[in-house]
Amino acid sequence: MTLSGYEALFFWIFALAAIFAGLLTVMARNAVHSALFLISSLVSVAALFVLARSEFIAGVQILVYVGGVMVLFLFVIMLVNVGAEERGTDEIFNKPRQVTASLIFCLLLVGGLLYASSEGYKGLQRLRPAAQPESARERSLSVSGTGSSQITRNTERVGGSLFRYASLPFEIASVLLLVAIIGSVMLARTLKQEVSADDVDPEVLKDEIVRDPELAKLERRSE
Amino acid sequence: MMLNSFSPALLLFFQEVVETSRWEQMKISAMNPDLSKFLVIGALLFIIGVAGVLTRRNIIVIFMSIELILNAANLNFIAFSRYLEVTGNVNALAGQIFTVFVIVVAAAEAAIGLGIVIALYRNKETIWVDEIDLLKW
Repeated sequence: MTLSGYEALFFWIFALAAIFAGLLTVMARNAVHSALFLISSLVSVAALFVLARSEFIAGVQILVYVGGVMVLFLFVIMLVNVGAEERGTDEIFNKPRQVTASLIFCLLLVGGLLYASSEGYKGLQRLRPAAQPESARERSLSVSGTGSSQITRNTERVGGSLFRYASLPFEIASVLLLVAIIGSVMLARTLKQEVSADDVDPEVLKDEIVRDPELAKLERRSE
Repeated sequence: MMLNSFSPALLLFFQEVVETSRWEQMKISAMNPDLSKFLVIGALLFIIGVAGVLTRRNIIVIFMSIELILNAANLNFIAFSRYLEVTGNVNALAGQIFTVFVIVVAAAEAAIGLGIVIALYRNKETIWVDEIDLLKW
């Protein structure tokens, strides 16, 4: 897989955009700015996916991350009040000694990862010499006037092998999502909602009624 | 004509340049990004995410850094999938399928994690991770 020409140019543009947006995500003072930079990083990575000829995953990335997860993040940021951060009164990083230690750790990690990937890639090239021709499967794809057939084929092939080779993991993933839905609903309930669903430990309830007499009324209503 | 008579010497000169100059080699490999460049980008994104998790105090930004880490892993999966596809491997799409599952798990993790954040904020009125120290003594 060697990109060339305009593909190489776009590769570098989107790679730099992804890395800078990632850095700004970590460094931004305001959490909303962090979320927006994370969105641009995710979109750039989706563009890299397109350059690696996996258009379906790029679409899924944009729909799920930018459309779903990031909207959720923004809602939560607006639910919990982060005024102190925006005013600039509080420190956004941990204590300097912790930050130094973790940065040293990260530098070691980046050195190790880059060394490992370059050495491993050299070994891979020794195993399979460079200048690979395009695979027979790719050449056999029909070309339409707009060039869209290849994109359609990618979706078709991913879907086909998803259900052919990974149908059990697919079902497990759906159960996982169901658990996530139920779990987040349970976690985000208020005490009042828990009391009216009669789902509180009696000892805890006794203490809480002392603090807030309204809860006793709710409890009687549920009975 | 004259160029022709010189051409063996010129050829030797260019060959020597290509063989010796490391800078030229780097330029050529930068003009043609391959699997290793994707891996480098993935590694850098991963490290940025790890640094975010370790240094930030805001729990929501920590969750965003975790998303960044998962995304770097996805980039590696996609790059290797493409590499195997070009080299004619049998099941080259396994990487793309695994990416779908990683995205599913990331979405579930974000939903549960943000539910925990809301419950935590309701009880402790803070989102700074160094103030959430109930298990510390």
